[in-house]
Amino acid sequence: MITWGAILWLYLWLAGMAGGAFFAAFVADRFTGGGNKSLLRLATYTGIPMAVIGVLLLVIDLGQPLRFWHLFTQFKVISPMSMGTWILLGWLIVAFTMVIAWWFENRVAEGTARRLRGLIGFMGWINLVFSVLLIAYTGVLLAVSSQSLWAGTVLLPALFVASAISTGIAVLVIAAVIANAISKGSLVELKLAINQLFGSTDWTVPNRTVARLAEADAIVIVVELAVLIGYAIWLTISTMAGAGEALGLLTTGALAAPFWVGVVVLALLAPLALDIANWGKEIEKKAVLRAILTSSTCVILGGLVLRAVIVMAGQM
Amino acid sequence: MAEAILYDATKCMACRACQVACKQWNELPAEMTTNRGTYENPPDLSPHTWIKIKFIEVEKEGKLDWLFTRQACMHCTDASCAQVCPTGAISHQDGFVIIAQEWCIGCGYCIQACPFHVPHKDEVLGTARKCTSCIDRRSGGLEPACVKTCPTGALTFGDRNELVAEGRDRVEALKAEGYSNAYLYGDEELGGLHVLYVLDDSPAAYGLPESPQVAISASVGQWLSGILTAGVVAAVPFWLLFRRKKQIEAEQKSEVEGGVR
Repeated sequence: MITWGAILWLYLWLAGMAGGAFFAAFVADRFTGGGNKSLLRLATYTGIPMAVIGVLLLVIDLGQPLRFWHLFTQFKVISPMSMGTWILLGWLIVAFTMVIAWWFENRVAEGTARRLRGLIGFMGWINLVFSVLLIAYTGVLLAVSSQSLWAGTVLLPALFVASAISTGIAVLVIAAVIANAISKGSLVELKLAINQLFGSTDWTVPNRTVARLAEADAIVIVVELAVLIGYAIWLTISTMAGAGEALGLLTTGALAAPFWVGVVVLALLAPLALDIANWGKEIEKKAVLRAILTSSTCVILGGLVLRAVIVMAGQM
Repeated sequence: MAEAILYDATKCMACRACQVACKQWNELPAEMTTNRGTYENPPDLSPHTWIKIKFIEVEKEGKLDWLFTRQACMHCTDASCAQVCPTGAISHQDGFVIIAQEWCIGCGYCIQACPFHVPHKDEVLGTARKCTSCIDRRSGGLEPACVKTCPTGALTFGDRNELVAEGRDRVEALKAEGYSNAYLYGDEELGGLHVLYVLDDSPAAYGLPESPQVAISASVGQWLSGILTAGVVAAVPFWLLFRRKKQIEAEQKSEVEGGVR
């Protein structure tokens, strides 16, 4: 019986992208010594609506939506859903704090601004931790169960984390290209409105960074592919009752078409091929840019299909 | 005092009076089902069916043999449903596992976690439902409705320790009669079940999991798997492609190239 339907896999996908994008942007920014600030802002601004929509979807999906506050009466380490509640709340509070701090950063005196920047830096580290926990939790939620497809290995969280980071990078690539287009474009009012709303004047992400994100996504996809293969092998040899049959639903059964086309081709092989074909090429060329955007779109849609088939097949 | 129900499969004749008594006492509506070529009906537990007798057909010495077994909440000591419940709506009372209907939010996690696939979501009430062990009857000193109605004595209710002793004796007697696979299911499983099964064959023959695991048994490994993967991804593509040294090198290289041009 299907108890967790479309709303749940939409939520897992959105929460994964929000956490994955923040993780990717923060790591990219830190490793470059703070050289990708605009990327981190884009990740936060796109992640918040995704996380908020995800949470609203989850509440609507409850049998008793008005009782959602019962979740906040418990702090239960052994229950992944209880932990997920607090992780999401923490992630959102920190992300909102960062948005507010960024808004004030250019509107206050230099001394205060410096303190704000310190706060933002600190908050970023906290949300890196929350982001890792958030994307891990989307897999752990399913894996801590008695459904053999989810609980038959310990690799489902690994698969969902790899997918969350891959889709998160794809979101960053698309957001960066749009942001660059707006700041180069002639829509002065739109630029002004965005600057007013978010308190920033600099939106651009260097083309080199966008290209490097696409390259990073290619490597994450290789990791994801390896985890998927390991996951399938593990389920095949798993002693858990029904594990092999559950995997069969994906590989040869009722969900074979969405699995092979939506996950293997759309989420993994197609974007990998596109990213490799355009590795090191100049993103200024229209064809290269188009290929990278196509690749990112495939990753995002494929990530949704991955959540959908795993959630469905696990309950069949 | 921990109480329990003992089900003796060798005494069960599958009259399904327990199913009817459960529906009556708990005011659960009947369900429309279709003939599937078996007396087993309804086909599965549901939000409106908290107990049902399963009919397993096996061939024994060229003849059809029926194995009957009871499907309902096992009232585990290590109850996965209670462990994963994010609101604390599921708790133990006298050893039985109870879902507090007024506190359940209908998230469905207990349904995914139960190793016996027992709880089901009532779409109208919006909560997860299952056997309550007739907590209302028990609080008034009565035994559960299924036990009360059982005409063959296949179901008994009482102190768990006494029922375990009784069940072990019964299994020994069955073994002496030549049922070498006879087994008392629930004695040890999941910290001890509060529904004990006297079986004249292996649990697998009765469709019961041989070694059921609590849903949270691999929790630490599951969390680590996710967190470590994030670490690997941070290290491999991002450290390789974004670290400052690499970026500076790239910049210097492009400057040199620019100079040549």
